[in-house]
Amino acid sequence: MLKFILRRILIMIPQLFLLSVLIFLLAKAMPGDALTGQLAANPKMDPQTLEEMKEKLGLNDPVHIQYIRWVKNMLHGDLGLSYTHQQPVTDLLAGRVGNTVLLSAAILILTYLIAIPLGIVSGRWTDTWADKLIVGYSYIGYATPLFIFALIMLFIFGFHLGWFPTGGSVDIQVEEGTLAYYLSKLNHLMLPALSGALINTVVTIQYLRSEIIDTKVKDFVKTARAKGVPERHIYWRHILRNSFLPIAAFLGYEITGLIGGSVFLESIYSYPGLGQLFLQSIMQRDYSVVTALVMISGVATLVGTLLSDIILSAVDPRIRIE
Amino acid sequence: MKRKWLAALAALLLVLAGCTGNSSTTGGKDNKEKPAAQKEDISKFPMTVKNDGKIIDGGVLKYGLVSDTPFEGTLSYAFYTGAPDAEILQFFDESLFRTNGDYEITNDGAATYELSDDKKTMTIHIKDNVNWHDGQPVTAEDLEYAYLVIGHKDYTGVRYGDALIQDIVGMDEYHSGKADKIAGIKVIDKKTLTITWKHANPSVLTGIWAYPLPKHYLKDVPIKQLAQSDKIRKNPIGFGPFKVKKIVPGESVEFVRNDDYWAGKPNLEGVILKVVSPQVVLQALKKGDIDIAEFPTDQYPNAKGTKNIQFIGKVDLAYNYIGFKLGHWDAKKQENVMDNPKFQNKKLRQAMAYAINNQEVADRLYHGLRFPATTLIPPSFPGYHDNSIKGYTYNPEKAKQLLDEAGYKDVDGDGLREDPNGKKFTIHFLAMSGGDIAEPLAKFYMQCWKDVGLDVQLVDGRLAEFNSFYDMVEKDDPKVDVYAAAWGTGTDVDPYGLYGRNVMFNYSRWVNEKNDELLEKGHSEQAFDKEYRRKIYSEWQKLMNEEVPVIPTLYRSAIYAVNNRVANFTVDPSSKLTWKDVGVTSEQPEVAE
Repeated sequence: MLKFILRRILIMIPQLFLLSVLIFLLAKAMPGDALTGQLAANPKMDPQTLEEMKEKLGLNDPVHIQYIRWVKNMLHGDLGLSYTHQQPVTDLLAGRVGNTVLLSAAILILTYLIAIPLGIVSGRWTDTWADKLIVGYSYIGYATPLFIFALIMLFIFGFHLGWFPTGGSVDIQVEEGTLAYYLSKLNHLMLPALSGALINTVVTIQYLRSEIIDTKVKDFVKTARAKGVPERHIYWRHILRNSFLPIAAFLGYEITGLIGGSVFLESIYSYPGLGQLFLQSIMQRDYSVVTALVMISGVATLVGTLLSDIILSAVDPRIRIE
Repeated sequence: MKRKWLAALAALLLVLAGCTGNSSTTGGKDNKEKPAAQKEDISKFPMTVKNDGKIIDGGVLKYGLVSDTPFEGTLSYAFYTGAPDAEILQFFDESLFRTNGDYEITNDGAATYELSDDKKTMTIHIKDNVNWHDGQPVTAEDLEYAYLVIGHKDYTGVRYGDALIQDIVGMDEYHSGKADKIAGIKVIDKKTLTITWKHANPSVLTGIWAYPLPKHYLKDVPIKQLAQSDKIRKNPIGFGPFKVKKIVPGESVEFVRNDDYWAGKPNLEGVILKVVSPQVVLQALKKGDIDIAEFPTDQYPNAKGTKNIQFIGKVDLAYNYIGFKLGHWDAKKQENVMDNPKFQNKKLRQAMAYAINNQEVADRLYHGLRFPATTLIPPSFPGYHDNSIKGYTYNPEKAKQLLDEAGYKDVDGDGLREDPNGKKFTIHFLAMSGGDIAEPLAKFYMQCWKDVGLDVQLVDGRLAEFNSFYDMVEKDDPKVDVYAAAWGTGTDVDPYGLYGRNVMFNYSRWVNEKNDELLEKGHSEQAFDKEYRRKIYSEWQKLMNEEVPVIPTLYRSAIYAVNNRVANFTVDPSSKLTWKDVGVTSEQPEVAE
């Protein structure tokens, strides 16, 4: 097992190198730079100053010099300076990553809390009205774009019923560190998390349902039935355990998604997170932020797949690689 | 979502009906067929809210910062770049000067000024009771410090590009590190300083940098690190009517009253500012979650009539235009060179201006909240906008006639005109993507031109994303013949920065001696005489109208939605009301049914 993990980590090194080159070149290939068109709103800027600023930002150096500088700084934990935010990228990310992880974790937990019972009910009692209802919901969920759904949720539960706050991550007037502060954070989190989870969950429901239906007719289940094992036992001991395998494997990827954030949820609920930051940085050609974010999510993806493999081999001895 | 549907539908109808067929010259006439395109008129909007109630003590106002991204949080006039940051700054910091309806400085603010006889030196005297939020007085050194920061070689912001800052005597030497002070800025005493420029320029009255930086508070931070320091991002101070109490990065700011405000105690006890997504701003206003927000004009038709809010508005300091690429920018000589032969014929440019129906665009796509532009100085400069110039109103017959005269005739009978040599004549049009109506708008213009026989194609066959767009325009990409863009003018009326011979932002690359002369006169010493300056800029507007290097297309409106409980809020530049006077007349906001 250890050898397997070690080998996987070693493979990651060339992968990361390739990733970094690719990210950097692609980012540089985007037309324009951080100063392009930014001054259209109030063009009090003479060309020499513009040139000076490009020089200061290092945009005039050859690409390979820029790349080496970037990698070198990155290895020292310095992700550069965001031009748009006038702030080190590490500080910028540190300020946002907490919100994003909180929101994504809440979505993930809610997703499983909804998906597992619904998937089991729907898979075990196929073609009952409950199953039809759940399948109906999952199809609607598939077909509903997240940004529309989030808006509808906000209008109903935020504005109309007034159960939840309608934007932001915390009420600014509560004292930081008090119980009220954490409750306020939780309160602000609920609606976006629920909106995300209700849409997100349908994939897992379908997954679980079809796994259960598949496993139900496998030979070992038939054998168990023939031997007179009680139905409840068959489901809990045999079918569910096997059906959970792919879901467990999926968890690694889901964790990768934790840091991705959601542009739609963040924008509609004015919830400052990484998804928004990423989009904004691409639009404004804030290279240091774009490359840092892609690099981080690249690393997270590699770690996530590794995690998936480890989980999988831990639960399922059949695929353990020695 | 209904709004989007209607807009898309209206857009589709517009493209289908387009310039072709029998649609009348003024789009307003066929309103009855399409109720979606009801017309608004910004001049009918009040500029100040009406509220006769008694302002209560201890009110807290909730201000909505309409943005779909978090604010950046560079909270200093010397460093900010994003518009959201500027909206936050207005509460706690301000210019030393108040301004009048022409955006010119007056002596009603925290400082008074006096110009020398040769108009090159300004003496600024800061009033005695003007103090920073920490109780320290605002001094002449603080204003000098602001210039020392902006001119410093380590400065990371964009303000040094301003011609008025570079024109200060000794600024070059300081910027290049040859001097450690700016020779043209002298601190006379604790509250007085003088600034001397190399040239006399009436734009100092609108464009002088008058935002001091608290030197005692910031001086220990290296200039390179100022923009990222906590003293600007987390605990900024100013001398405005409110103090920053707390910031939740990117989403909200809490302000409390500054009892020591130089102009008197503000009416409001505090202000809570929070970011509100444009998709939900109307709901937030209806529910009373926010009291004031700059309102997205495209949502206005759905919002009007809402009982608990009133709308105020004015013409924005901006215009949209279509530009012709006439040459290129010579970076070495720092000069525009007009060497692209394609659009040198004035009649061709005029014909293209006559061919487009801006009235229809304004009414159908913008509900009248954008309206046809006539000159390159928008009506938001009432003192300088020449309203005797009518611009190019839609007149396809005139366009065809001009094209005939210029020799652009259809010789092969395919319905499209060839150039005077009988060769195929295709115009490449660059338009920006973004928003629901970018595409129909571009198509509409192309259809208009096609109707007079011009073959216009999109560059690369599609709309260009923001960065690609400006990349191509700035670098004079030969693929681009005509482009549609917009300018914000700022409060300085001087158009030199956009149309001068030695200015990179003169994207059309049009140069003309008369233009040089007028622009020079417009910011000469003589132009301190307002009547003279008005005459010069009137002449300039006529020249630009005749020559059309760019076609002004639309002026824009800015509207604000304000809860009925708010009093004394204004967008009128000539009003004396400020944030100090804004108050609320009830404890809680009014809520819509």
